Amino acid sequence: MILLEYLLIGFLVLTAIMAISNKEILISIIFLSIFSIVLTAIYLLHKAPDVALAEAVIGTGLNTAIFMSAISHVRERDECHCREED
Amino acid sequence: MNATAERRINMKRIFIISILFFFAFLVLFYLNDLPEIVMGTIANRFVEKSVEETGSLNVVTAILYDYRAFDSLGESTVLFAAVSGIVLVLSRKMLPVSSHGLSILVKRNFGILTPFIALFSLYIITHGHLSPGGGFQGGVILGVISIIFSIVYGSAFDYERYSPQLKTTLETGGALLFIFIGIMGIVFEGVFLDNVNFLNDGTGTLISSGSILVINLGVGLKIGAGLAIIFYSMIQKTFGEGLE
Repeated sequence: MILLEYLLIGFLVLTAIMAISNKEILISIIFLSIFSIVLTAIYLLHKAPDVALAEAVIGTGLNTAIFMSAISHVRERDECHCREED
Repeated sequence: MNATAERRINMKRIFIISILFFFAFLVLFYLNDLPEIVMGTIANRFVEKSVEETGSLNVVTAILYDYRAFDSLGESTVLFAAVSGIVLVLSRKMLPVSSHGLSILVKRNFGILTPFIALFSLYIITHGHLSPGGGFQGGVILGVISIIFSIVYGSAFDYERYSPQLKTTLETGGALLFIFIGIMGIVFEGVFLDNVNFLNDGTGTLISSGSILVINLGVGLKIGAGLAIIFYSMIQKTFGEGLE
């Protein structure tokens, strides 16, 4: 059990670093979602099922959807600027 | 010159990563050293007395919606303010232009799955005092159903069936239910948001723990409708700009 916890913590730090350092925003959103899943497992290991449920739903489902819609918004605007420059 | 700069950046990155790992394992190490129950604090009293005082088996829900129900009322007020602000800034009065959604396989599969997701969210809301979960978590699942509708079936599907007016009404209804239970507490027990022990069928059954069950229902409705309103007001603007 302790080994599993160490593995999960290591994976958590790795996914957080990947989410920050990646240049493609879409990939960092997906890494953030993986981060939430690992965090859910850690909450469950520490016997906090209430927080785990909230983290699973909000971090994995809601955050990803809202970030995606925000990104589609930003991309459309970028494309419009490119056309104006051409 | 270029290679040395790259190497320096790599060294810096490895340094930061190793420091992060060090602190993560430090926190983990000290988290395991925490004592189980600290004697003589208020947490001890919650663990010992909450079942007989509130009738709720889930101590977290008992604290959230009974002992500290006023804080929960403040939290839902914060969400209400966030929804109002986002709708004020983002919404424009136009029907969103629907994308066609995903393929027919995904549509049929999701049609089979949706009732079960809704049932699960209702289970989490109504069994908040018995098992992990509660109004907030179940309400977020209800809101996520509405969001997945817009991804799978295209955004007009949900918009035509459940109008923003209906969602606003549901959200306000949830908040009013919460405050109504609080005023019931004043009338029957003398304190705002005190637990009114009506419809009590014994500890451990579905209809127990007095007003916690009703507050869970109100918070669930409020959170689900509020999150759906936030997502749809964001989507609306995206589609509005696609129109031009």
